[in-house]
Amino acid sequence: MKIVVASGKGGVGKSMLASALALLFSKERKIVACDCDVDAPNLGLWLGITEYDIIEKISTSEKAFINRKKCVNCEKCAKVCPYGAIEIKNGKIEINHLLCEGCGVCQLVCPKGAIEIKPVKNGEIRINTTKYNFPLISGKLYPGESGSGKIVEELKRRAEEFDNEITIFDSAAGIGCPVIASVRGSDFAVLVTEPIPSAFFDLKRILEVVNYFKIPYGIVINKFDMNQRISKKIERFAGEKLLGKISYDKKIVDCIVNLKPVITSDSKVVVEIEKIFEKMKEKIGEKN
Amino acid sequence: MQIISSTGVKGGVGKSTFAVLLALKKAKQNKKVVLCDCDVECPNDYLILNQKLKNPEPIYQEFPKLNKKKCRKCGLCAKSCRNNAIFWVEGQYPKFILDLCTACGACWISCPYGAIEKKKVIVGKSFINKVKDNLWLFTGKSKAGISETGPIVKEVKKRAIEFAKKINADYLIIDTAPGAHCNVIHALLNSNKIYAVTEPTPLGAYDLEIILELTKILKIPTEIVLNKADVGNKKDIEKIAKRFDTKISIEIPYSEELIKAYSSGKLEKMVDLI
Repeated sequence: MKIVVASGKGGVGKSMLASALALLFSKERKIVACDCDVDAPNLGLWLGITEYDIIEKISTSEKAFINRKKCVNCEKCAKVCPYGAIEIKNGKIEINHLLCEGCGVCQLVCPKGAIEIKPVKNGEIRINTTKYNFPLISGKLYPGESGSGKIVEELKRRAEEFDNEITIFDSAAGIGCPVIASVRGSDFAVLVTEPIPSAFFDLKRILEVVNYFKIPYGIVINKFDMNQRISKKIERFAGEKLLGKISYDKKIVDCIVNLKPVITSDSKVVVEIEKIFEKMKEKIGEKN
Repeated sequence: MQIISSTGVKGGVGKSTFAVLLALKKAKQNKKVVLCDCDVECPNDYLILNQKLKNPEPIYQEFPKLNKKKCRKCGLCAKSCRNNAIFWVEGQYPKFILDLCTACGACWISCPYGAIEKKKVIVGKSFINKVKDNLWLFTGKSKAGISETGPIVKEVKKRAIEFAKKINADYLIIDTAPGAHCNVIHALLNSNKIYAVTEPTPLGAYDLEIILELTKILKIPTEIVLNKADVGNKKDIEKIAKRFDTKISIEIPYSEELIKAYSSGKLEKMVDLI
């Protein structure tokens, strides 16, 4: 069973909720938590992890490289590059690796065979055992590198290697490449939002993706008491898809400052999250 | 014209709030300002400015389409595709898996028979709103299900730059998506100055380092905007700033009034916060 936590908008409480659900689930089933936000892997912090055990550098991206001995600076490559990554500086061809996507179009048109496409180490995979006796897999895309979606796919493959019943995926913000890679193939999506117009709008954006892949889902309203009017509006919109609501509590900030999972605190949200957890299990049960 | 970007790896730290406040502040100082919302996956600036998106213009990308009359089933297209988006078995026509296609064009360049044609597909839209006499908002919005949003960012930014030059704008303010991958990089390129927005929490500190590493690679001067500055521990952020040879140049205090102004589209009265 694969459960993904997503939201469209960032900072609405995805990782906080994902860590709490993982902890609750770990008391009943064998689970793996998988942080799919490779730009900002923060799930570990919510589970008290600041340093990682296994670090494996990976390569899910390729870039073009010029062989200066063969290059005659004919500029054919620069004309066809779809990413504008090839420039001419002082009469010489230069490839800007920040823009190069490794598509190989330059290599196809080069008359001298002067361009090679080579894999680059663009990120890493970290595997940890949390204090709560379940593994956390997380990845990191190195700054300025490309291929975040492919790192997410690699993370998901690694998660499958564990002998587990439930995997909780914590997605990145947005609805593009790494999010699509996180959401695709999930059995259930927990969509988090807040009662502010932007988060409500972004909920509808992520819903378009979830519906595109036909994934069953439930909605959670975080900090619902910050604006009861918009919260009611979201509730009406969610209808039976509403999994529950979480209050605003300053203690949650203290939790992250002390690297303590929310669920182990005495915050009033613990009961609310437990209710959400039960409701989610019902929904998943319904499906099976 | 100055190009100033508001960015940050973590979501929800106030990138858009700061970008909108900055645009409103410059406009109040009688400057001509273009604000460009480059968070094309979840554009929110228009909501914060209480606008309805206007003047849609489609953004296209060209995807491959097979002309079976010309195709000789040689498979060169499939071999040239580095995204494995073309499936081919000997003796069969190639099959294009558009979900994996990045529209790079390797297939039509490699086809010796000109059998791969280009089909224009709408991948997103750009919008222009005139918010005030001297403030315009450009918004990019990707079509849901489109994976590669970098090219959409590139196009909406190009349109905003052309427009800003035409009207002789003093400032182009760019609001990026959260994260640090290609859609953020495209938004940040060519900026004169970057503001990295963050919060004084361990999450904010961790993510600030990532964005500062990126802007260092991009070689663009970067300063820090600390949102909710009075809520957590500022010291960690100051340490990181020092290590990257920069400073916290703007502090925004936690304010319920700001949150209310944000939600109701009335940030204008809060411009003196920055």
